[in-house]
Amino acid sequence: MIKRGITVFALALLLAVPAAFAADGGAIVKKCGSCHKLTGPAVKTIAEVKARKAPDLFYAGSKFNKDWLVGFLQNPTVIRPAGTVYANHIKTTGDTDTVAPAPKCESKLSAGDAAAAADYLMTLKDAKMKTGVAKVGEFSKAKAKMLIIKTEACNGCHSIEGNGGLSCPTWEGIGKRLNPDWVYSFVQDPQYWDPKVWMGKRELDDASMQLIVNYIASQK
Amino acid sequence: MKTIVISRFSAVFFAAALFLTGGMAVSASAETAAENYSLYCVQCHGTAGTGKGINAPFLAVAPRNHSDAKAMGELSDANVALAIKEGGSAVGKSTQMPSWKHNLTDAEITDIVAHLRKMCKCTGAAK
Repeated sequence: MIKRGITVFALALLLAVPAAFAADGGAIVKKCGSCHKLTGPAVKTIAEVKARKAPDLFYAGSKFNKDWLVGFLQNPTVIRPAGTVYANHIKTTGDTDTVAPAPKCESKLSAGDAAAAADYLMTLKDAKMKTGVAKVGEFSKAKAKMLIIKTEACNGCHSIEGNGGLSCPTWEGIGKRLNPDWVYSFVQDPQYWDPKVWMGKRELDDASMQLIVNYIASQK
Repeated sequence: MKTIVISRFSAVFFAAALFLTGGMAVSASAETAAENYSLYCVQCHGTAGTGKGINAPFLAVAPRNHSDAKAMGELSDANVALAIKEGGSAVGKSTQMPSWKHNLTDAEITDIVAHLRKMCKCTGAAK
């Protein structure tokens, strides 16, 4: 009887210890709040945008793919070559603008903390975003590039396949980073997510949107 | 009685303050042309407006030089406003200039046209 009791106690202890030492994702992410906005709504004035130190995270669960988040949180890389708000990092020499190297996030999490933080971030979702809209599958890369490069000139602001503008996030590895449904929503209405974002809204039909979403999803 | 008078005065004062700050908040949300230019236009046209923004080296067609009095003087205000509102393709120019009609109100676009006229030190051509 005593032996059985000890066994049950030991088992309970074994189950309880990992739970007690499991990282608190919410507490870890809270520290990110010194630079990132963790609660909505998005800011609505240019002055507030220019005061932004790092991208908003209050809809991270709608925006990101969890696997990418876990990797990024352990080893952050530069996604916006001219910084979070390009206008804050311009250097003007004569009549020509260049950008200073973008500062990158210095916080590196352990694998366990990164997983816990990613779990928490994935709970920060936008309730209104439609899901299941992006149809990722086979697509014509030639048609997509015609639309993206020739018609919409996305490469004017984004670096695509290693070449393009600096004021907006690079598309290098973007397929790993972003949820295709969020990409669909953002391209369709950037101002819904960020009222003062420096990207114009496109009026594209669903077929064109799917080409863009598929191309982006393929950039891994 | 004195307390009631003070309370009434306070209520009127705060109602007036709320009304006034509400009005200020509305006008504060409209951006100045300089602020809009600094966020939407500078990325391609550059801080000096010379067409040498940080994205310019990657564009197939060079962004317009807003300080060029001759070239800007050949454009009417309506043409410039249309290019900003509907994009370059609306005025027979590059599709790399996107439409900004969802970022800017008509009044803000009018202000930006006036701002560009200051930059080029020129007036617009007749329509």
